[in-house]
Amino acid sequence: MKKYTWFLFLAALAAGYVLVPEPSDAAYHVLDGKLRIKGSLYEFMMYRTDLKREERQYRDTDWGLMRTKGTLELLYKAVENKDVMINLFGFFQWWHEGVPDFDQEYKRSIERRNHKRYQGPFYDQDDWINELYADIYFGNWNIRLGKQIVFWSEVEMVRTIDRINPLDLRYTTPGIDPWDEMKLGLWMMRGFYNSNLPGQLVFEWIWIPGDFEQVRSPMEGTSMGAIPAPQGPKYRRPRPFGQSAAVNRMFHRARPAFTLRNSQWAFRIRGNSEVSLFGEIYLLDWTVSWYHGMNSTPVARNKTRGNPTGNFNIRTLNGYLTRNAFPSRVLGFALPHLTHDSFWRYKFFDAVGASCQTFVPALKGVVRGEFSYEIGLPINKAYPLHIDPTPGGEKPITGTSERDQINVGITFDRPVRWNWLAQRWGSSGVLDVTMGWFGQWRLGNVTRWRSTFGYQDRSQCNFTLTVRGKLRHNELWPTMRFLYNTRNWGYGVFAMRYTPGKHMRYELGYLWFFARDPHDSKEAYAENKDSIYFRIGYEF
Amino acid sequence: MKLFRIFSSCILGVVCVSLVHAGEVRFPVPSYEGDELRNVREWEKTWAGKKITAENVDQVKEYLHEAVYKAVKEPSIFGAESIWFEIVPYKPLPVTKGMIAATKKHAPGSLDVNNDLVGYGDVAGIPFPQPTTGAEMAWNFDSNTKGDSHHIIHTGTVVDCRTRHERDAKQLRWEMRWMGRYDVPPVPKFSKKDNPRDITLSFFQRHAAPADFVDTTMLELKYKDLTRATDLWVYTAMFRRIRRYATSQRTDTIDGTDMIYDDQDGWYTHLGHNTYKYLGRKDLLFARHQDPAKLERITGQGFWSGVQRERVNHWVVEVVSKEPDYVYSKQVWYLDPETWQMNFKVMYNRQGQLWKMYEMYTNVYPSYGGEQTALFNGEHIVDFIRHHGSPGNREIKGIGIEIPLTLFQVKSLKVRSY
Repeated sequence: MKKYTWFLFLAALAAGYVLVPEPSDAAYHVLDGKLRIKGSLYEFMMYRTDLKREERQYRDTDWGLMRTKGTLELLYKAVENKDVMINLFGFFQWWHEGVPDFDQEYKRSIERRNHKRYQGPFYDQDDWINELYADIYFGNWNIRLGKQIVFWSEVEMVRTIDRINPLDLRYTTPGIDPWDEMKLGLWMMRGFYNSNLPGQLVFEWIWIPGDFEQVRSPMEGTSMGAIPAPQGPKYRRPRPFGQSAAVNRMFHRARPAFTLRNSQWAFRIRGNSEVSLFGEIYLLDWTVSWYHGMNSTPVARNKTRGNPTGNFNIRTLNGYLTRNAFPSRVLGFALPHLTHDSFWRYKFFDAVGASCQTFVPALKGVVRGEFSYEIGLPINKAYPLHIDPTPGGEKPITGTSERDQINVGITFDRPVRWNWLAQRWGSSGVLDVTMGWFGQWRLGNVTRWRSTFGYQDRSQCNFTLTVRGKLRHNELWPTMRFLYNTRNWGYGVFAMRYTPGKHMRYELGYLWFFARDPHDSKEAYAENKDSIYFRIGYEF
Repeated sequence: MKLFRIFSSCILGVVCVSLVHAGEVRFPVPSYEGDELRNVREWEKTWAGKKITAENVDQVKEYLHEAVYKAVKEPSIFGAESIWFEIVPYKPLPVTKGMIAATKKHAPGSLDVNNDLVGYGDVAGIPFPQPTTGAEMAWNFDSNTKGDSHHIIHTGTVVDCRTRHERDAKQLRWEMRWMGRYDVPPVPKFSKKDNPRDITLSFFQRHAAPADFVDTTMLELKYKDLTRATDLWVYTAMFRRIRRYATSQRTDTIDGTDMIYDDQDGWYTHLGHNTYKYLGRKDLLFARHQDPAKLERITGQGFWSGVQRERVNHWVVEVVSKEPDYVYSKQVWYLDPETWQMNFKVMYNRQGQLWKMYEMYTNVYPSYGGEQTALFNGEHIVDFIRHHGSPGNREIKGIGIEIPLTLFQVKSLKVRSY
C-alpha cells in the first residue's frame, strides 16, 4: 500500500492545483513566493511490435512498459540578502511499472526479489530523491551540497565526457530518452568559482565522498532486458534467475562501502573565449575536465575468480556461473545458492576530457565537439578467440587488466528554413537539423578483452541525424532521430509531441531497431524491441 | 569695397551654414506643430474619449492601418465577438535630457556606402533628427536605447483563435546597451576594459512559463562589428544544456508565438541585413499612453481590446531583407517621430500577402535621474492568414537601472537555474 502513498499525494497536489486560482507562472508559489512548487504526472506506455518467438513464451501480452511517474520539484529561498543567498532545491520522484501486475508470465520471468526493485523506486533507499541540495551563493562562489545530477555534455545521443552520474537503463534506451531521465543522483559537494579572469573562467570541482551507484542494466526478464538464459528445459519456463540476473545480483552485492576512501573527484574549467581565424572571429564555449572515479561496472576479484575451466566451485566466480548455467538452468537442477563471497570489485579510473561549441558563420551552423581520454579503464580478460570460440559475454574470466580508451563526438546543428512549410500547419518553417559523428577507440590489445558487447572490436563509429520541427505554433513537435553504426546496427525514432495547452502533454512515437549482430553494442542488443509508445502527462 | 563685399559674403555664408546646421539638429521634433496640431485638436473634440467598435470604425478608417481596421471590423477572425479601442488625445512623448544632449552633440550623422552609420557605437543620440532616407530613419530607430538598460517581466499568450486554445509564456528580461548610451553613465559607451568584445546590445532572459520551460535562460549579444553575427545561447532547463543557436534560427518563432527572434522590439538584428525605402509620412492611430489595466480580451481572443489610440504622424519605411529567401518578402515599419521607437509594423509573406502585424503599446515611466522614458508595456502580434494571435503584457520593473555586467556572460545561464 505504501507505494501508492506518493501517488495519492501527487494526485491530491495536482487536483489541488487545478482547484486553486490560476497562478501567473507555470509553477505554483506559496509562503510569499519563497517556495516554488512544480511537478508532473506521466503515464508511459510501450507496446512491443516485434516480439520474437523465444521471448513470447515469457509474455502473456505485448506490453513492454506501463510506467506511471510523478515528480515534485520544490525550490525554497531560505536566505536572500546582499551577501549570501541560500536556496534549497528538491526534486522528488515516484513511479510504478505496471506490466508485471497484469502479465503473469512476464512477472514470473523476473527474479522474485527484483519485483519490488523493478516496479518502483526501491532499488536503493533514496531512489525517491532524484536531487536534494542546498545551493549557496556568496561573492563569486557557489557551493551545492547534497544529492545532485551533473550534466557535462554538449552533444546528444552519445556519451563521452558526461561521466559523473551512472545510468539507470531499466526503463530507457540511451540515445532515445534524454540523459536526465536516466541519470542516478549522487550525494556530493560541488563548488563553482566564477572568476573575473579573461575568458570568463568558471572553476568547478566535485567531491563525491563515497556515494556510489552501479549502472542499472535492464533487468533480466523485463521488456528492456534479456530473457532468462540459458533457457533450459521447456517445462521449466519461465524460470527466473539466469546468468544475467545472477551477475546483476553479484554486482549489487559488490558495491563499495560508503567511505571516504571511495571518494570520487572531478574538476572542470569552463571558459568563453574569442579566437580569430582567417579573418573571422569565433566565440568558443569550451571546457576541459578531469574525472577520477569508479567505473560503474565492476571487474572480477582475482582472489575469488577461480579456475576458468572445469570449475564447479560455487565459492568462486567462474565456478558459480558454470554451475548456474549448466546443471541448474540447462538441465533443470536447483539453482546454486549465492554465497556472500564478493566476486567483483569496482575499480577507479581516470578520464580527461574537453568540449567546445561555436557558431561557424561560413557554415551558418553550430559545431559542437567532445573528446575524452579514459586512462586505466578496468577490464576483464578472457581467452582469445582461437583458444575459446564462445561469445565474449559467455567466456570464463581469466584475469583483469586496464586499457585506455578514446571517445570523440562531433555534431553540427544547422536550422533549415523551408518556406513551403512556413505557410502551413502553423510552422515557423524552420527545421532543426543535427548531424553527428561519434567514434570510440580501444587502445592496446583487445583480443583478450572480455566484453559482452563489441567483443574484439577495436573501434566503433556512429553517425546520427536528428530532425525536429514545430507545427501549430509549437503545439506539435515532430521529431525524427536516427543512429547508424558502421557495423550495421542502429535505430530510428519517429515521434510526435502534442502540447495543446498549459498543462497536458501527449507523445506518440515508434521505435525501430536493427542489428546484424545484437552483441555489437547495448543498443544493438535491442534489435527486437521495436515498439509503439505513448506518453500522456500533466505538467504544473 | 570689393574686399568688404567678399568679407560680407563670407560672414553671411558662415551665418547661413550655421543656421542650416542649427536647423538639422533640431530635436526633439513633435509629431504635430502649428496648424497640424490645431487640426488634430479640432478632430479630437469629436473623437477623443470615444469607444470605437465595428459599428463606427468606418468613421475613423482614414487614421487606421488597414490591418487594424480589418481586425476591428471582423473581430471573429481573432476569436472575439467585438474588438474595440478608445481614442485619446495626442500627447507628445517625453525625451530625456541625455538623449537631447547626445543628439545635439553627435547629429547629424552620416552613412557610409553600405548605409552603415559612421562611428556606430561611438556616437549616441538620434543621428538624423531630420531624416531624408529610409536608412537614416532605420538608424534613428536603432539609436533609441530605451533608457540604456531596463528590466521587464513579459507575459505573453499564444492564442489559436479558431480552437481558442491558449498557452502562456512568461519571461523575466534584462536588457542593456553597451554603446551609444546617453542616459546612464558611462556615456556614450563602456570602456574597452569593461567591454572587451565590443558588445552593443545584450539581453538576458529567464523563463517562468510554460511549465516545460521554467528556468530556461537565454543570452544574446549583439556586436559593434556589423558583419559579425549576433550570438545567442539558450540554457534549456529540461535538458540542462547550454546550446548555442545559429543565426538562421533568428527566423524561428519564439515559444510558438507569431514573433520571430528578429521581430523583438520591432527589429532586433543588425540593420545591415535589410534595405530601407522611405514611403512617406502617415497620420495613424496607435497607442503611446497605454494604461495596461485597460487592455482586455476573452479566452481565445488574439487581439487586445481596450487599446488607447492617439493620432501620431509616423515615418513609414519599407524594409526588404537582403537575404533572398527571408521569411518575410517585406516589412513596413511605422516609426514614432518623437522617440523613434517602432509603434507598428506589418509583415508580408513570400507571396506578397499581408501575413502579420505587430503593434507595440507604449507608456511613460520614471527612469534614471528622475527622467521620464517611453517604453513598450504591451503588444499583440497577429497572423491574418492562420487567424492566430500573441497578445502580451510587459510589466516595467525598472528603466535606466544598474545591471551587473556579469549577467551578460555565458556562465550566468546556469547560475540559479535548476
